[in-house]
Amino acid sequence: MGRYFVKVGSIAVALSLAGTALLFGGEGARAEQGAAVAISVKDHRFQPAEIHAPANRPLAIRVKNLDQAAMEFESVSLRVEKVIVPGGEGVVNVRPLAPGKYEFFDDFHQQTRGTLVIE
Amino acid sequence: MLMAAATILFSNPILARAQDNGGFYELETKYIFGNFTIGSSTGIEGEKAFEPETEADFGKRGGNYGVAETELEYEYTLNQFMQIELGPTVSYYNIHNVPGLDDRNMGSINGFEADIRSVLIDRNPSPFAVTLSLEPEFHSRDETSGDKVVNYGLETRLEADTELIKNRLYLGFNVLYEPETTRSDLGMWENESTLGVSSALAYQIVPKVTIGADLWYLSHYSGAAFNSFTGDAVYLGPTFYWQIAPKILMSAAWEAQIAGHEVGVNSTLDLTDFSRERARLLLEFEF
Repeated sequence: MGRYFVKVGSIAVALSLAGTALLFGGEGARAEQGAAVAISVKDHRFQPAEIHAPANRPLAIRVKNLDQAAMEFESVSLRVEKVIVPGGEGVVNVRPLAPGKYEFFDDFHQQTRGTLVIE
Repeated sequence: MLMAAATILFSNPILARAQDNGGFYELETKYIFGNFTIGSSTGIEGEKAFEPETEADFGKRGGNYGVAETELEYEYTLNQFMQIELGPTVSYYNIHNVPGLDDRNMGSINGFEADIRSVLIDRNPSPFAVTLSLEPEFHSRDETSGDKVVNYGLETRLEADTELIKNRLYLGFNVLYEPETTRSDLGMWENESTLGVSSALAYQIVPKVTIGADLWYLSHYSGAAFNSFTGDAVYLGPTFYWQIAPKILMSAAWEAQIAGHEVGVNSTLDLTDFSRERARLLLEFEF
């Protein structure tokens, strides 16, 4: 019986890792072709509110916080978050994405919102 | 029923195109279906959370039956594709005059559970997102009776969802397979397995609050690989999700067994393998 559970567990873990490798694999192969885009926050508004980046390439989003309050760059669909101190900046690394629109926002000031357009 | 409603909504081009952005932003789908059906979201990279999650089961064929199990989970999202959860479980049993079960009124630390969740299919460009969840479990007391046992299980799920109306209406599906092996006081190992499929709808009725319905079909077998069918059950009930604050949420569901069958028993429900009603309540505190 123990062997049965080990077998079921091994297959399931292998499937899980294979799925992750499939998604990560593309990222690894294209790591040297990453793209970068910059955005700032001032008066609790993203500037620009819409940023554009190429599809299927890892992306580095450089975020400058020009406000006097801390902000947290966050996105549900990008699956990233980063706290940035007042006057500071940070880089958010995003996996290669398919074309489409991806929302992002400041988790500390939720009316502060923007869109990443992957094309 | 849920599938039919979803098909009607999905095939309606006006509804499908509707994109009300008046405060209705995208949601993480993991808990919006009430947590019996689990959505595909694996969280935000680096996110850590404490999640007390309680499942309660009520009602057997006779007497008074109420059992609750609380998992005290630590959740961590390793990267943009994988999330883990782990923590101890605590159980409470209130059983009186239930045929086949000893009377019991007690609480107990009852083992340890972990969960490894990995994205299999991303939502974009696929309309569906799919996540594989593996949940190894150890229990020192039987989940139904509270008897002292040694129990190992591996709950395996495929968790899928899609948006029927952007940021408003979500449809979720789960497929569940859970083999278990249990050694009782007699020293014998007994194997069993549960197979389940579910479908759930969640509608964001006001920003950060969803209501919905969840439908489950569960079948139970003796033997780890569906060796001998013992019974099945259909559960249906409402769900509720509320993101109370940016770092705090709750998810709840209550379901009643509306149909079932138990081998060798002339009844419209299976109240040996399953309970008459079940409920789940989860709180998440991100830190």
